[in-house]
Amino acid sequence: MTRRFFSKSLYWSDAALKALSFLALGTGVSFLLLMIVFVLRESSLGSGFTMNLFDFLVRDPWAPMATPPSHGIFHAWISTLVITGLSLLLAIPLGFGIGLFLSEVAPRWVQQVMQPALELLAGIPAVVYGFFGYVTLVRNFEVWFDMPAGECLLIAGLILAVMVLPFVASTAAEAFRSVAQELREMAYGLGVTQLYVMRRVLFRKALPGLFAAVALGLARALGETLAVLMLAGNTVAVPHSLLERGQPLTALLATELGETVVNSAKYQALFASGFILLIVVLGINAVIWILKHHFLERSHA
Amino acid sequence: MHDAAAKSLSANVTGSSETYRASLLRDRLWRAALWFCGFIGFLLPVAIIGYLIIEGLRFVSWQFLTDYPKGSPLGTEGGIWPAVEGSLALASIGLLVAFPLALGGGLYLSEYGRSQRFNKIVRFLVECLAAVPSIIFGLFGYAFLVVFLKFGISLIAGGLVLALIMFPILLIAVQESLRSVDEAYREMGLSLGVTRFYLVRRVLLRKAWRGIVAGIVLAVGHAVGSAAPVLFTASVYFSKGGLGLDRPVMTLPTHLYNLVSEAISFDQAFGTALILIAGLLIFNASAMLLRRLGGGFTQ
Repeated sequence: MTRRFFSKSLYWSDAALKALSFLALGTGVSFLLLMIVFVLRESSLGSGFTMNLFDFLVRDPWAPMATPPSHGIFHAWISTLVITGLSLLLAIPLGFGIGLFLSEVAPRWVQQVMQPALELLAGIPAVVYGFFGYVTLVRNFEVWFDMPAGECLLIAGLILAVMVLPFVASTAAEAFRSVAQELREMAYGLGVTQLYVMRRVLFRKALPGLFAAVALGLARALGETLAVLMLAGNTVAVPHSLLERGQPLTALLATELGETVVNSAKYQALFASGFILLIVVLGINAVIWILKHHFLERSHA
Repeated sequence: MHDAAAKSLSANVTGSSETYRASLLRDRLWRAALWFCGFIGFLLPVAIIGYLIIEGLRFVSWQFLTDYPKGSPLGTEGGIWPAVEGSLALASIGLLVAFPLALGGGLYLSEYGRSQRFNKIVRFLVECLAAVPSIIFGLFGYAFLVVFLKFGISLIAGGLVLALIMFPILLIAVQESLRSVDEAYREMGLSLGVTRFYLVRRVLLRKAWRGIVAGIVLAVGHAVGSAAPVLFTASVYFSKGGLGLDRPVMTLPTHLYNLVSEAISFDQAFGTALILIAGLLIFNASAMLLRRLGGGFTQ
């Protein structure tokens, strides 16, 4: 015991700080874990969930007012998939491009301007993106495509792409930057072009980091609420084209929760969809974490 | 800058000036494409924020900031003071609850936790949970605080939900800033025979405070901007102002959402969006400044 070295009061103040800090950590983390348990509990997925899982996910429509009411979420996860897919389709190439630009091409002063610009983009709240999309795209879509109301999956996807872009871009830039400088020099020394180096060396070496960038964008896009709530149109029909309206999972939750009787079948269905979303995002985050560590260990080696 | 080398060598290697010229052209096109990507990445934030400022400035005045919503339907005229007040109160409660927990937790992970494995598992959990969609926090807050603990839709329920959202962000910030303090300070302090308590208080926190403050600003900015977690835990369409822990409040993001989704007033929405953006910009700019002044923590 080295601690005997100190006077008693000093020893106790140190021990108290240690105990208190452990208590603080425990409190915070256990409330976070309680969140998972409680959302699961409210969904009663483990016991007494009134629906067949297949009906819930695929077969039944969302019709809580019908007799008998039915609470399928097929339309919601289809909308989520379409919007998320579209946004990543746009954000990944552009984000990788920006990442390469920042790490390989941009002069120092351009990098110093771009970094805060991307942080600005990431700092704009979702509801402001929704509003921005509404006053710019939705109104114009009504004119361009002769639609009675302009909200549609396409607009939601476009705005969502802008929202996830800074996350994809900065993670990609980090991935490219962490490729060892010797590899670049070696390749250039062999007399190949910059394009060749990027394609054959950087992309391969940065692959885990790029994958993490995609996963990060995916997790962001899946959970985004306010923007898609305002832009996707919020109808319970299953969408058949990008110009139709839809209702992603998060929008379904935000629309319905406030007017749902606690512990009713609808309430359970909402929490079950929330739990599914939670688990999917947690899974993606776990993958990101593993990639990041794998990646760090490799680049140190 | 590699052109010269590439030129002479690839000409020799390929032995054909035509292939060489084609690949050089492709390289130029590729670089142009990357500049274009970068340009778009710069243009988007400038255009969006510029648009909101130009359109919103007409509707913002001191009176807009300090007046109550008026007109019929309510919100078409007047100001947004109750929303400003509500947002600030929610964020303050969130910070007041989350910061001590995160400070203690970060301290434990960085200074006291001896088991690498324990630290790694906690960090894993926290990082995974930090990125959970904010609507899920709202869902939990509604079921647990509003319904189960019978808090009702209230300032305290919303504040606690925001605290839960801020906790992981703050915890990571505290741990990283403490960890980035040079190991030599610890060794020096401990070898002089001071306790860890003294070391933390007088040395480590003084070295790490910039990073911690930057983390606070980021977490608060994030919490103030998100509407999903307070939508059904704390917010109402309109309130006459005045705060009470057991009473609901208006918030800037939910007010903006209501103005747009109920098509109440787009003029007011432009003003609200500008106030929200301007507030967050000031927050974020100060975080950036602090970090540049030399905190160790990078998000």
